[in-house]
Amino acid sequence: MPLSTISESKTQRLEILGPDGKADPSIPVDISESELLDIYRKMVEMRLFDERAIKLQRQGRLGTYPQILGQEASQIVPPLCLKPSDWMVPTYRGQGAYYARGMQLRYSLLYWAGDDRGVHFPEGNKDMIFSIPVGTHLTQAAGLAWAAKLKKEDSIALAYVGDGSTSKGDFHEALTFAGQFRLPVIYLIENNHWAISVPRKKQSASTTLAEKASGYGIFGLQVDGNDALAVYQAVGSAVARARLGLGPSVLECETYRLGHHTTADDATRYRSAQEVEAWKKKDPITRLRKYLESRKLWNAQEESKLKTESEAMIQAEIDAYESFGAPNPLNMFSDNYASAPWHLIEQRAQLEKLLKARKSQHEALELPPVEGRFP
Amino acid sequence: MSELNLVQAVNQGLRQAMESDKRVMVLGEDVGINGGVFRVTEGLFKRFGPDRVVDTPLAELGIVGTSVGLAMGGMRPVCEIQFDGFLPATLDQVICHIGRIRNRSRGKYTVPMVLRSPHGGLIHAPEHHSESPEAYLCHTPGIKVVCPSTPQDAKGLIIAAINDPDPVVYFEPKALYRAAKGEVPDQPYETPIGKARLAREGTDISLISWGAMVHSCLKAANILNEEGISAEVLDLRTLTPLDIAAILATAEKTGRALIAHEAPNTGSWAAEISALISERALLKLQAPVRRVGSWDIRMPLFRLEKYYIPDAGRIVKAAQETLSF
Repeated sequence: MPLSTISESKTQRLEILGPDGKADPSIPVDISESELLDIYRKMVEMRLFDERAIKLQRQGRLGTYPQILGQEASQIVPPLCLKPSDWMVPTYRGQGAYYARGMQLRYSLLYWAGDDRGVHFPEGNKDMIFSIPVGTHLTQAAGLAWAAKLKKEDSIALAYVGDGSTSKGDFHEALTFAGQFRLPVIYLIENNHWAISVPRKKQSASTTLAEKASGYGIFGLQVDGNDALAVYQAVGSAVARARLGLGPSVLECETYRLGHHTTADDATRYRSAQEVEAWKKKDPITRLRKYLESRKLWNAQEESKLKTESEAMIQAEIDAYESFGAPNPLNMFSDNYASAPWHLIEQRAQLEKLLKARKSQHEALELPPVEGRFP
Repeated sequence: MSELNLVQAVNQGLRQAMESDKRVMVLGEDVGINGGVFRVTEGLFKRFGPDRVVDTPLAELGIVGTSVGLAMGGMRPVCEIQFDGFLPATLDQVICHIGRIRNRSRGKYTVPMVLRSPHGGLIHAPEHHSESPEAYLCHTPGIKVVCPSTPQDAKGLIIAAINDPDPVVYFEPKALYRAAKGEVPDQPYETPIGKARLAREGTDISLISWGAMVHSCLKAANILNEEGISAEVLDLRTLTPLDIAAILATAEKTGRALIAHEAPNTGSWAAEISALISERALLKLQAPVRRVGSWDIRMPLFRLEKYYIPDAGRIVKAAQETLSF
């Protein structure tokens, strides 16, 4: 028997906006003017927020912080294609996604200041907590989608995943389950080309990450992740397919991490300035602005008004964040179990005693009320 | 002798081990060009090249699993798991395989690998970056676990771990990476695995510890000294196999033992040490053995970490209670 071809897969890529902001007219995008402006505003707000957050960290007013600089389109757009009842499952680099879901920026600051009170989603939202160990949330997202399917709800799950995380076994297992059970889940790969210091090409011998989907019987597509329209179109279609019971999708949004991995990293140690400069030319915000201007939806005056208003809003969020004050250490013991076991009751009492003793000794500690449920 | 911090000491140990044995290789996330997120492998990529200092794909279980194969296949892999919070992802290999292969193959195959990982908290790190998972590993038969608290031991133990014929987990206390400084011999040397270090002599109570907590014990011993209490401090250095002779010697000498560590107390390695002392030295004890660990809740985000991980004050208080038993 000669060799015969038994399966063929091809990987497609979606781009709509060119670097000059001109849209390809052959791909109609079903998006209203107000949605477009909302996306643009949120992308700009996120960038300004990122800049402030970095400054706060440098001043010692914030802990280690992961910028999303350059990834605004792939961060902000996907949640805007979801309903609050859909699960949004972010990575650790997820402030943009949370912001697009309506979480106030003060809480992102609080989280990255090492304060558990920063986990605070809008009421009614199905948002997952930041996933710090990479990839572990991917099978969980499959499970969330599975539950929705079993309960015959029309809700879906969208999980972000980095290019680095696609190397983890978790990614393989998540796609295996998603494909096998035809789950209403979308894996949105934010391929920002760098897993800390390891470039995408050293992460996997696979030409694209989107093509990995076909091995699991899943629809895969590469998307220009710096093209807000393409991301909107791709995620919107994937959401529609998932809701109709047509199964999962893998969307590889190709973007670029313009900043360091986090404030604890120095990217100049491992990548060239030329590479970064080349990607700056594909900036997602500039491209969308040019597009909006070409449609007469935006102008310099609007831009300057947006910047002024955003800066004021961000300042108000920073003020709100800094007015939180220190948390009560006893908060640690709240919400560990539905009903606290004896040893936690005992240990909490020990800590309470310790805090009182220290207060009388040297720490002029005025503690805020305890939060959460105990016992 | 040169004054080095803990990062530099591990780095020098790795470099010297690689210079003397071509089978030794380093692999892990960001260990190559970037020199590791804590810079422990700084300069090794340049010195030894990409075949011996390997930036791996982002896959912890893959790093450990391939290290098992590399070790069985004749290499001497030193793999790095970037943070302690990413270590649980490797436990399938660690618990089910690395410590069992010698025995399962009836001694035919061995796994001479080293698994390095940062350890502990108090550096204001993000979530899942401040864990103390040693008990999961010490509980696992067939592997050795070490955790230095000084640059001198850091260098001697990494070389000993690499030369050891069995798998060794090597924990590096993050809080000490740059804070711990000390004179380190320039030549390669081994700090024996399985031997504790008497960090301070005393007569009234024994403070037993490892890693960064050794320094909190020394601080506590100073405070106790002002109150006229003489505390002995034992730095275990090796967690498995324990230096039972040194543990019993100090416990029997002072009659009072306190074990301080960063992990939650329940099921901790301190619990094991407490059980050993109670089983073997009961009649020499003046008071119950005391564990001073973190609360039995998850590591909080860093604003509250100083209320979670015991400090010198909590050790002093527990020591006073033990002395007044």
